[in-house]
Amino acid sequence: MENITDIVQIKHEVLRLTARHAFDGDLYDSYDKIPYEMIEGIKPQFRCCVYREREIVRQRVRMAMGKLPQDVLYTDMDSAQVVHVIPCACEGCPITKITVTQNCQSCLAKKCVKACPFGAITSTPQGAVIDQAKCRKCGKCVAACPYNAIVEIERPCIKSCPVKAINMDENDIATIDPKKCVNCGACVVGCPFGAISDVSMMVSVIDALRDGGKEVVAMIAPSIEGQFGAATLPQIKQAIRRLGFDDVYEVALGADMVAYNEAAELSEHRAAGEPLTSSCCPAFVNLVHKHFPALEKYVSTTVSPMVAVERYIRSIRPDVVAVFIGPCIAKKNEVMGSYVDEIDYALTFEELYAMLCAKGIEVEEASPVPEEATRYGKGFAVSGGVTGAVSAVLRERGEDAGVRTQKCNGADECRKALMLLKAGKLPVDFLEGMFCVGGCMGGPATLAEIQKSKKVFDTRLDGADNVTQNVESKGLDKANIHRHS
Amino acid sequence: MDLLVCVGSSCHLQNSREVIKRLKELIEEYHLNDSVELKGSFCMGHCADAGVCVKYADEIYSVRPETVEEFFKTTVAKA
Repeated sequence: MENITDIVQIKHEVLRLTARHAFDGDLYDSYDKIPYEMIEGIKPQFRCCVYREREIVRQRVRMAMGKLPQDVLYTDMDSAQVVHVIPCACEGCPITKITVTQNCQSCLAKKCVKACPFGAITSTPQGAVIDQAKCRKCGKCVAACPYNAIVEIERPCIKSCPVKAINMDENDIATIDPKKCVNCGACVVGCPFGAISDVSMMVSVIDALRDGGKEVVAMIAPSIEGQFGAATLPQIKQAIRRLGFDDVYEVALGADMVAYNEAAELSEHRAAGEPLTSSCCPAFVNLVHKHFPALEKYVSTTVSPMVAVERYIRSIRPDVVAVFIGPCIAKKNEVMGSYVDEIDYALTFEELYAMLCAKGIEVEEASPVPEEATRYGKGFAVSGGVTGAVSAVLRERGEDAGVRTQKCNGADECRKALMLLKAGKLPVDFLEGMFCVGGCMGGPATLAEIQKSKKVFDTRLDGADNVTQNVESKGLDKANIHRHS
Repeated sequence: MDLLVCVGSSCHLQNSREVIKRLKELIEEYHLNDSVELKGSFCMGHCADAGVCVKYADEIYSVRPETVEEFFKTTVAKA
């Protein structure tokens, strides 16, 4: 992909080399050689020395192989925790503190000195000086300075985490509290050193593809459109088949099933005078579970589109290895924590791309095949899409009058809406929760910037437009897609 | 109680999917759906053992498709 930033490149290269050795069947003999394949000589490229660079790569190879970074204490962890700090890669950035920058003009008004309630600032001819021992980080001086010369620096990982799950240990190395973490992956994107990453199931998938004993099917998330430039869905499916997958299904088909079911659930909830929230976004479901447990009764009991389409697939092909491929890190957590006996593995677009590169497969021309899902099912990939699809089904059934809906676009909106809901101050019937801004297309493991991918995606919404018809004509309404079947 | 099965690459080669499938069947057979929850786990660092890494009640076991029934009877069903 164009415009690769270094950290994205390093992660990709580790995944690509790991995938290549796995496809070649010599990974277990050569995984410890990958750091040397990537970093030659003794001149460092991106860290203080090649030895640290190789150690970081070594830990990344472990994660690519489904292991945790060696220096993370596993026993303290939830077994399905996907997001982990790579301690040796963490720079221990300066903690939250207020700093005077060179913009300070040593002015005469001394608004910062006057604004500080703790007497922590003194004015010197060289500029204002903050006594860090007295500073309580209230931010009053930041607001008071007429030159914007005082700034608050926060660690990017802590700033990026929407649920305050990141702390620091005694050496300033970031740690994740798995009791709070929703595995959204915001910190994976947020850390400028790439010191937080997601554990992969890629090698197990490659082994299943090589093994050939069972059919392996891919289930691709609707947000895949736009990830490979202007390539069409048939072209993307063709490339995935060339990796060795026996078939490729669209998760958007599962989204049609979910919309069909959730519309019925919504009508039931409305009749009972209770709101209903969507359940397709695993980070949103985790947010409710870990931070708003009192609201769990409002979360739809319909499974996510991934599980819905998997149950449909198993109803016709019971013995396949089912692999989800999406933009989402939290999806791996959903699979590990709740569906390990149904969904075999979950991959990200990053991992898919690494596998394609490892095999030298380019996404290319292919003859078109009919679209499986409606434009509404596909719409689950973007903020507002679930609301749109559920509303469409209600409209098709003539049950849409007066339904109050609200979409939450991103973690902050999700949290705010749930706080209002908890306080009984959110007058809605249906609440759509999507943890990533823009929806799944803005996910942490995407390949293309959402501004670009969305443009392509928007031109591809020409599928069928009647969810009820699509679900019933394909017999999809027969599958049980409630949780805990 | 969580019954954790490793889905890492080494355990995959030891046929972890078969072990998961059998454990799911055994949980139903013994009507333990309410007390035992089957979950996946990333590597628990016992890759060198001759079997799939399974964790139950803070103990780690090495289970093969041939021994999964015996393991279930003596460890999970007994508890």
